[in-house]
Amino acid sequence: MDAKPTAPGTGSLKAQDYKSDLKPVWCPGCGDFAVLSAITKALAELQVPREDAAVVSGIGCSSRIPAYTSVYGFHSIHGRALPIATGLKAARPDLTVFCAGGDGDGFSIGGNHFIHACRRNVDLTYIVMDNEVYGMTKGQASPTTEPDWTGSKLTPQGPGVAPFQPLEIALSAGANFIARGFSGDPNFVVRLIVEAVRHPGFSLVQVLSPCVTFRPEQRAWKETTHADWAPEAASTDRREAFLRLLDDDGFTTGVLYKGHNPVFAPPHPSSANLADLEKGFAL
Amino acid sequence: MNSLAEFLAHAITLEDESAHRFDELADALEVHHNGDVVELFRKMAHYSRLHLADARKRAEGMDLPHIAPWDYKWPGAESPETIEVFDAHYKMTPFHALTAALDSEKRGQAFYADVAETAKDATLRALAAEFAAEEGDHVNLLQSWLARTPPPDDHWSEDMDPPAAVD
Amino acid sequence: MSNRSVSIALTGSGGAGVMTAGQILVDAAARAGWYGLMARSLGPQIRGGESAALLRLSPYPVQSADDFYDLMVAVDWGNIERFASELPLHAASVIITDPSQGEVPPIMLAAAPHIVPVPLKDVAKEVTGGRVNMVALGLIAAAIGLPEDAVIDVLRQVLAKKGADALNASIASLRAGAVQAAAIEGVPTLAPAGQVPEGRWSITGNEAAGVGALRGGVRFVAAYPITPATEVLEWLAPNLAQVGGTLVQAEDELASITMCLGGSFGGVPSLTATSGPGLALMTEALGLGVASETPVVVINVMRGGPSTGIPTKSEQSDLNIAVYGLHGDAPHIVTAPTSIADCLFTAQWSVYLAESLQVPTIMLSDQAMGQSRAIIDKPADLAFVGKRLRAEATEGVPYQRYAVTADGVSPMAVPGTPGCEYTADGLEHSPRGTPSTQAQHHADQLDKRQRKLTDFDYGDAWAHHETFGTGETDLAVITFGSVTEPVREALVRAAEDGISCRLIALRLLSPAQPQRMAAALDGIKRLLVVEQNHMAQFHALLRAYYDLPPAVKTLHRPGPLALRPHEIVAALGDWT
Repeated sequence: MDAKPTAPGTGSLKAQDYKSDLKPVWCPGCGDFAVLSAITKALAELQVPREDAAVVSGIGCSSRIPAYTSVYGFHSIHGRALPIATGLKAARPDLTVFCAGGDGDGFSIGGNHFIHACRRNVDLTYIVMDNEVYGMTKGQASPTTEPDWTGSKLTPQGPGVAPFQPLEIALSAGANFIARGFSGDPNFVVRLIVEAVRHPGFSLVQVLSPCVTFRPEQRAWKETTHADWAPEAASTDRREAFLRLLDDDGFTTGVLYKGHNPVFAPPHPSSANLADLEKGFAL
Repeated sequence: MNSLAEFLAHAITLEDESAHRFDELADALEVHHNGDVVELFRKMAHYSRLHLADARKRAEGMDLPHIAPWDYKWPGAESPETIEVFDAHYKMTPFHALTAALDSEKRGQAFYADVAETAKDATLRALAAEFAAEEGDHVNLLQSWLARTPPPDDHWSEDMDPPAAVD
Repeated sequence: MSNRSVSIALTGSGGAGVMTAGQILVDAAARAGWYGLMARSLGPQIRGGESAALLRLSPYPVQSADDFYDLMVAVDWGNIERFASELPLHAASVIITDPSQGEVPPIMLAAAPHIVPVPLKDVAKEVTGGRVNMVALGLIAAAIGLPEDAVIDVLRQVLAKKGADALNASIASLRAGAVQAAAIEGVPTLAPAGQVPEGRWSITGNEAAGVGALRGGVRFVAAYPITPATEVLEWLAPNLAQVGGTLVQAEDELASITMCLGGSFGGVPSLTATSGPGLALMTEALGLGVASETPVVVINVMRGGPSTGIPTKSEQSDLNIAVYGLHGDAPHIVTAPTSIADCLFTAQWSVYLAESLQVPTIMLSDQAMGQSRAIIDKPADLAFVGKRLRAEATEGVPYQRYAVTADGVSPMAVPGTPGCEYTADGLEHSPRGTPSTQAQHHADQLDKRQRKLTDFDYGDAWAHHETFGTGETDLAVITFGSVTEPVREALVRAAEDGISCRLIALRLLSPAQPQRMAAALDGIKRLLVVEQNHMAQFHALLRAYYDLPPAVKTLHRPGPLALRPHEIVAALGDWT
């Protein structure tokens, strides 16, 4: 992480300072409120100057989040938040870059970019608000929806397809930091985000974030999530992390993995001027 | 709770987060045109802010420790006086709102009461007891409001219009 | 006899090395003070396929192909049918053929060229370490009057890493070939070079585009390879790094264009290069660039379409997608260089326009320019550097990213600037940038995004004008891109025949410039539209946006056959 936080307690920016004056249009009860709070609290813990942070999102309910923060933001197009965030960080390594969005935006149309972002391992933090549904378009199955969910008109018999496993794929593809949280435990999500930002390389924080409108049964996640991946005991070994995932019921929260794959190289300082390079064409 | 400073740091955050949560829900319900409940939550936010101001006053001149959000000694996942988000619904009635608010106040009261009971330091216990009593007043107030509020009918959540896709 | 230029086709297959020989020939010609152009024609194999080095050499600048090849040297005849139609010959053409490689295929005899058998392979065998392509090279050089010294100079450089033996073998092969040339008649020679300008360059259109990009200020590039654009990115990769920029290889074109938007949002002029299929993938993101007013430049090196089309051949059929391909009302800029040399200026200008107007700009180059190498005069040093109107915080005045200004350009805050934090959005928005569905906001923002382009003064660069012949004329030819040079040659010849004509080669294809066009067409009653695509896309664009003279004709043909000067002369001749 490149932002230089001041010592804890000495910062002048509070979590509220990172919120804009815009009132979210999310349904009351939506888990995304907690994620917004968690991001702003994390920024306050890190004391990143507002002008030095950016949140890039795609399309979907959770992708509305940049405008609700008071840092720089880019509300872009469906599935393309990760490459935009990658370009931003590669061109401006001095910034603290977040990428945010939902499970549809990130793992369906954005799936290819997700794999390559994990591989590329650029130093940014990707927060996925996973509600296992396409909320914005009124309740279709998403890649993380269970195969027998019959709540969508598009797949009335249930999707019948094995769900996308974001943590497994992130681990396979080379992401350096992999964590899962739950919007009902937002203070823990703050910790996950702070550690994610501090850890070099591509950090994935999947936050189970119920959609109370299209999947009201997800309120029960309060009972099913269990914080068994203690951050201080995260796997640093891929094999061990894979084994943990084999035992994961999809509701384990905490930090799964902290790796040390090489981080995508930042730009180099200039070593020549253009006139010198053009000499290569001279006869 | 080991010291007055630590306690006040907790109390300040507790009241601050309580107020913010009420405001957050009030904003969300305002966006969803549920005027009845908006007023109620704004009022609750106001009370929390009064209590917050009091806690800040008591902390004047003290060096309060910085506590990371995940290091607070809350009994549950969140600070105790934050209203439960999952209890919200865009068509929630004042009855629902009061029930949820009452629940949050009770949790706040319980937190202070626990400190009042278990803290080693006598000044601290006294202060915590004061705060607990204050919360007790809120609890009583809410209970009386609740008693006067009609419970929701069976169709309270019914919305004849289908959902809209907006992006 | 001494010609204005000599056109040579050197063909062979299976790793004969004709490309290398052709390249050495061009470089040697440059060393001798001539100008030159080298294009290539290839089969589908990655290696060992049939290939043709297509050259044109001249004491005067040349940037496009002539009507016919004066000399064709065939090392062998492997699969020549594949591109025989791209090697037009006439009765004066000379074909050097190696008898050991079989008969000259009938397809090459249609124009009844002069056939000269030369046992190239045997000649090469006589030389220790001799190579057929070097024999051919020596033959050609001697035949056209290219001094041996110039060729040896280049050989020394090219073979520097291969040691003295390789060099000596090549020189010996060269000389053996030269001996053969003595017996050949009918090959045009070139006059020795006169005074040539200092500091000339040897460069391809793709390389020139890369240089232009850097000159314009690009310091972030996202790359996904595609024929025939890959060389733009490959030139940029090391050179960008040396000037402190960054290149990221993307997983697909959806990623390359969006990475550029991210880099640009961060304040760094950003660019990518692609061809038709990639541009098609990029259209949604380009729309995001328009709506969020984020500058970006896409160099689209056109190839045969539609769909996968003909990746290795040139065509001008991406005009429609470049101008019309974004959904919604999404005005943006489309430019097109008029020659290999102009790829540098137009790329630089495109960056300048994109940054000044905070808008995506598509530059339409093509395979003919992109992958051909030309000797050009040293490009002028022009001060078109991309300058974005940046925002700083103003005390007490909340920042409005999309403020409705008189000229439509609103200051753009760059991350790192305190007090101006905003969220860029593809959703329609208020001046502040908050998403809005309101009619007034949509109207205001649409007007702003259009006004900023239409009210801008593009200057003289918008088109290249030239009048040929003496006196007034009511005849004009209008074109764009790589067709410009053949048109110029045609108009030089027409003028020699007493036909005066005006040339208008557009460099700015969109937005339309009605006033400038009216001035350019002042007095014109007959207009010939020349383009290289099947549906006459350029003609349709002109009719859509401009008042045209009463008599308009089109000369259009899709790739892969280049439009040649004599065809354009003939089209004009029909009319006069």
